[in-house]
Amino acid sequence: MTKNKILNKVKMPFCQGCGHGIIVRSIAKAMEQLGYTNHDTVIVSDIGCSGLVDPLFDTHSIHGLHGRAPALGVGVSLGLDNPNKKVIVIQGDGGVTIGLQHVLEAARRNIDITLVVMNNLLYGMTGGQISGLSTQKFKEQRHFEVDVPPFDIVKLAHASGAAFSARATSIKTYTEVLKDAIEVNGFSIVEFSSLCTSYAFKKLDELQEVFEEAEVYRNERIPVRAHHKERKSLLDNLQIIEKEFDSKIEKRVGLVLAGSAGGGVQSAAKLLATTGMFSGLHSTMKGEYPVTVGTGFSIAEVILSTTPVKYTGLETPDAVIVVSDDGWNKIKGNIQENSTIILDNSLKNEETESLKNKVVYGDFNRAAGKRGAALAALSYWIKDTGMMDIEALKKSVSSHKYSKVLLEAIEAGLNILT
Amino acid sequence: MEKNNKQMVFTDASMLITEACVKAGADVFIGYPITPSNRFYQYGTQRFPSFLAGPDEITVMQWMAGYSAAGKFPVSATAFPGLALMTEGLNMAYAMELPMLLILTQRLGPSTGSATTGAQGDLMFTYGAISGHYPIPVFSHSDFEDSWTMTYEAIKTAIKFRTPVILLTSKELVMTNKSFDLNKLKEIKPVEKFSTKVEEPYKPYKTGKEMVPPYIPLGDDKYQVRINASTHNDAGLIKKNDPESMANTKRLKEKFEKRIDEIAFYDFDNQDGADKLIVTYGISADAARDAVAELRDSGEKVALLIVKTMIPVPPKVMEIMDRFNSVIFVEENIGGIYKEIIYGKNAPAKVIAVNKIGSLISPSEIVKAVK
Repeated sequence: MTKNKILNKVKMPFCQGCGHGIIVRSIAKAMEQLGYTNHDTVIVSDIGCSGLVDPLFDTHSIHGLHGRAPALGVGVSLGLDNPNKKVIVIQGDGGVTIGLQHVLEAARRNIDITLVVMNNLLYGMTGGQISGLSTQKFKEQRHFEVDVPPFDIVKLAHASGAAFSARATSIKTYTEVLKDAIEVNGFSIVEFSSLCTSYAFKKLDELQEVFEEAEVYRNERIPVRAHHKERKSLLDNLQIIEKEFDSKIEKRVGLVLAGSAGGGVQSAAKLLATTGMFSGLHSTMKGEYPVTVGTGFSIAEVILSTTPVKYTGLETPDAVIVVSDDGWNKIKGNIQENSTIILDNSLKNEETESLKNKVVYGDFNRAAGKRGAALAALSYWIKDTGMMDIEALKKSVSSHKYSKVLLEAIEAGLNILT
Repeated sequence: MEKNNKQMVFTDASMLITEACVKAGADVFIGYPITPSNRFYQYGTQRFPSFLAGPDEITVMQWMAGYSAAGKFPVSATAFPGLALMTEGLNMAYAMELPMLLILTQRLGPSTGSATTGAQGDLMFTYGAISGHYPIPVFSHSDFEDSWTMTYEAIKTAIKFRTPVILLTSKELVMTNKSFDLNKLKEIKPVEKFSTKVEEPYKPYKTGKEMVPPYIPLGDDKYQVRINASTHNDAGLIKKNDPESMANTKRLKEKFEKRIDEIAFYDFDNQDGADKLIVTYGISADAARDAVAELRDSGEKVALLIVKTMIPVPPKVMEIMDRFNSVIFVEENIGGIYKEIIYGKNAPAKVIAVNKIGSLISPSEIVKAVK
């Protein structure tokens, strides 16, 4: 039933004297005063003492992992995409420490959630260990971590772009600060000082000094909402290729093309594959190149076949075409004895001369430039073997955005003398 | 799509899987870049109605869970290093019973291994991914047509069983371009997400004989929805050592066991008189298909089982293996992971493993093992 009552009539589960109950009641009061109903409210809870809150709220709730509630809340808020629904994320200082990145990311994106941090300065459920938000004064009492200041999550969130960030240290201000936070359209965070009665009180002399000062910061920003855009099918962009030429390939031909990254090797190989398709063949293509762009080797394997190609491995390529040092150095250890080797003239040396394979040299780089050499070599190979119609290759490049340059490389390849 | 003519295109399975996701009704792609899943990320930006660039894989999984809890179907794609970071969140989404699809593109491990070398090394991790050994559905695809249909089945399963589903693939399966006839793709219609039949009074985790709770998103105006990753009762509230909560926890396994036949996908290509069976999945399937053709041409009698529902293991798959005197497992890893899932560490003498790392297993290597 929809109602403007946010809390259940459940006894607070917290230790005697713990401030968490007051924060929970303040959240409910703020929401009720702002007119939210229980069905407008989603509580996202974390792990730890702050994670006991679900049954207290008579609202929607989702209870996840330690430290991840702000990220889960971001997903819920973007997924709901409904400004009338309010996502309240509740976590402790331990949760903030584990998932600091999630808080900063939500703030940076200014996602419409309110993050309530119940800072009791420690991990209460596991025995009172310090967290990343434990203050210096508090830690000094425990005789370790000298001069390791706490994260100021309020300032961090503000610096990351949060629309609203505040720390509340006086119970009297809780509801009003929360109302300010909840009313903000975007990411808001309120850190509450809620000292642990079980593990902190007895070890502290001066209560007032252990928390940071109350503060409020704002960034004037528009919240990031989920964006939706209907798009057309990826398959609609694919070129439909029909057989227009004949080929002399009887079964299956495999070819390796090797050169330098940025040398047009991958695009030449793809053009060869589609050339095969224009010739009524089935084709596959796969590439290998380093993770860097425009540096090092670039290798592509193409298989052309009269029947659909299942296994795409290429143990013994019919032809290996290499147009640069980078390409040669990468594949020279893997040359099979039956392959025909087509090399750029620049690769003529003792090593290549000692190959037992059939080796052909051509001046591909000089004729077509570094970027055209791979395609020129393919053009030469097609003409030399007569396996396919050179017009099929021209057809293949005709719809390419750089077709003019590519056609020049093809022509250069046709005129190569070996 | 016209059915009479061939529509030959040059494409890759990453594109087909992405397209199938959106056609099946997936709403958002939440990505974090990792090789060899990069094409999913790229196509995701171009095709999904919504796209988010996550700051890390832990966040990605949380955002996915949030979207799913709010009623939107999320998809992401990663590789082992990303899966490792996602695993706590995957357990969370599993316990919460949130539909989502995670595409896992396998690459050579351990650790960062070789990012651009394919592998089939992550099945055991997915088998044990959920604490307590609850089965998370893991589907694999073995060719382009499969990549389309198994994506659809994965999304249907995720919604029908309210669960995260992993689509297991590998580098060579999704980064190799092939000529392909688009007319081979069956039509995919958006999967109906939300439960229309809700038993009153509504309890978020109360189930009937189908053993899956109704899917109603957070923020619903009629029903109060509570979602919980910790041990919870039917109301979705934490309750431990309680019969209702324990029944709810056991149900996470039972819902798959009782309804396994609904999600048992495999291709069984038998041959009369064959007493040898090749069992394979994913990237090794095409090599096995070629090997079987070659073996049969040479007069050898051999059957082929290509498994697509990897986890949970369908009893039907094991029944098929039981029928043969010789079972040859072909997978691109060390020692045979699927073999170990089926037969443990003490496989009977009739089981042979063909394994390799660093490159594809070739048809000739399979032929040699069978002969």
